[in-house]
Amino acid sequence: MRILIVEDDVEAAEAMDRGLTEGGHECRRAADGEEGLAVARQAEFDVMIVDRMMPRMDGVTLVETLRRDGDQTPVLFLSALGEINDRVTGLKAGGDDYLVKPYAFAELIARVEALSRRRETGSVQTLLKVGDLEMDLIGRSVHRQGKEIDLQPREFQLLEFMMRHAGQSVTRTMLLEKVWEYHFDPQTNVIDVHISRLRSKIDKGFDRAMLQTVRGAGYRLET
Amino acid sequence: MRLPRLFRTTPFRLTLLFLALFGAAASAFLAYIYVATAGEAQRRTDKEITREAASLAGAYNRGGLDGLNQSLIERAANERPFLYLLMTPQGQRISGSIAESPLDKFDGSPTWASFSVSDLDAENRPVKHPARGFQERLASGEILFVGADIGEDQAYVGKIVRALWGAGALVVVLGLAGGVLVSRNVSRSMASLTDVVASVRNGDFGARARVRGSRDEFDELAEGINDMLDRLERSMAGHRHAGDAIAHDLRSPVTRLRARLEAAYIDLEAGRGNAEQALAQALEDTDGVLKTFGAVLAIARLQAAGEAPSPQLLNPGELAANMAELYEPVCEDVELEFRAELAQDLVVRGNHEFLAQALANILDNAVKYTPTGGAIMLRVRQRSSGEVEFSVTDTGPGVPEADRSRVVDRFVRLENSRNQPGAGLGLSLVAAVAEAHHGRLELAEGPGMVGDIGPGLRVALVLPRA
Repeated sequence: MRILIVEDDVEAAEAMDRGLTEGGHECRRAADGEEGLAVARQAEFDVMIVDRMMPRMDGVTLVETLRRDGDQTPVLFLSALGEINDRVTGLKAGGDDYLVKPYAFAELIARVEALSRRRETGSVQTLLKVGDLEMDLIGRSVHRQGKEIDLQPREFQLLEFMMRHAGQSVTRTMLLEKVWEYHFDPQTNVIDVHISRLRSKIDKGFDRAMLQTVRGAGYRLET
Repeated sequence: MRLPRLFRTTPFRLTLLFLALFGAAASAFLAYIYVATAGEAQRRTDKEITREAASLAGAYNRGGLDGLNQSLIERAANERPFLYLLMTPQGQRISGSIAESPLDKFDGSPTWASFSVSDLDAENRPVKHPARGFQERLASGEILFVGADIGEDQAYVGKIVRALWGAGALVVVLGLAGGVLVSRNVSRSMASLTDVVASVRNGDFGARARVRGSRDEFDELAEGINDMLDRLERSMAGHRHAGDAIAHDLRSPVTRLRARLEAAYIDLEAGRGNAEQALAQALEDTDGVLKTFGAVLAIARLQAAGEAPSPQLLNPGELAANMAELYEPVCEDVELEFRAELAQDLVVRGNHEFLAQALANILDNAVKYTPTGGAIMLRVRQRSSGEVEFSVTDTGPGVPEADRSRVVDRFVRLENSRNQPGAGLGLSLVAAVAEAHHGRLELAEGPGMVGDIGPGLRVALVLPRA
């Protein structure tokens, strides 16, 4: 993946660059909004990671300008501001996701990968297929190896999200945000409980466990 | 040279401006009065003189020159205010009450003249009176002069003029005095506000403007300023408490983290220990610190704002149902019975995210502190007062009554309540959320002793009717 990092904190940018490069991605860096705009206009990227507060041109202005130009590259906002209103401002400006500093690197990677995937699957799908697992979005049914799996509505949503991001790490926070639409951290690991229920339904009785726990990050649906 | 403070005030300048405008209007008005009175006096005199002349002309027509002379002598002897003079065609005096005509030149056509006559006052001193007269040539060639002493009229007009001057002076003096009074009053009101601003600028956030109770715009402004300062002070106190709390709450976990890292480092240098495990532990500790930091920050921001951000009308039953859906499996997982009774036709006004988080925190606590085999009940209902109540009842050990108020208390006392079982940072956030929604958090005894454990806890988040 080609990733543009627009971040004025050199150390943070370097750490991101190193981590993403080790993960097999190709990174370019820009130290402020204006430089970021110039680089983004020169080359094509799969994902942009944009800090919100930067000298010369802030992240929101940068993304607004790009969107006006017709650039639809997915953008992940990074910000020290985590209030709901800040989040809304960022997303309204054309950001696709929002990560509050300080963050875990696993969270960043998971979100960046989720963003790139979303771009590829632009067309409307009615059938999701991951390995021998099939989900019919119209009939609201799930089958594995031809056997019907009965899911509660929320379990269905949870599995749909996992299937749309098959092969990628998905964090608990992402699940809470995208499936339940909550933006806070419950003290107990509620997400783990829901995942383990889902796991028992789709993996129990089959030779291979598809829903894997990724240590330190979250979960992954193996293809 | 600088003007005295009073003269530089806006109200005083306005007073001067209004005084100038009023003065101009008063001058025009007074001028009209002068013209109306003094002019009227002269017109009346002229009319009377004309009438007298006409009356004499009648006498002349009836009795000729002799008749006129006769009539003139009679009239001059009477106590009439008129002055008469009958002259030959050459201007020689024939008879009358004055010695000579005041007119130097006379071309024969009827002519008016203003002049003065000498008289003696009460103490026999000669005085001059203004007079006015009319001179005409009779048909037979003789000249007749009829005049009148208008001293009294003039004196009357003079009185009016003096009265007008007096009135003008009074207008100016009263206007200025009023202006000074009003300006002083306004300046004093402004000065107290300016003093407050100066005090606050110098760091005294406790300074407040005096509200005089006159319910005028100054009181309104003072109340507005005081309200603003209250909010500012509260907000600053909130931030200060947040700073204190963050320092306090984070010091121990950060110290622990540091100690662990140090120990791990020493171990690794000595060739013992497990680097991977130490790092994993450090990561976990860091996450804990960040979580605390986030919660403390959220509480402080809510308290500082004093109001939940972007409130909207929402269905509390629906909100609780979503939370129940999230927590029911968790309860089942740790073998707790979970039940929900949710009224579905209610409306509250609030921030969805914060209310959900508050409910999650209450449920988290219930799950954490209720022993296996216990039960948790989530309820949403309307009280008879109209308030909407979210409540979570558990069969855990509960919170001793003495500590309950401390748990609900403001963030300041967080340190005390944090050490109590069952009341962590979570409930402080719930209290802050309740307050930001103009509601409250109530803690009460639960269902009583269940087995050996009790009395349980009932936590209620009560919101005002929408």
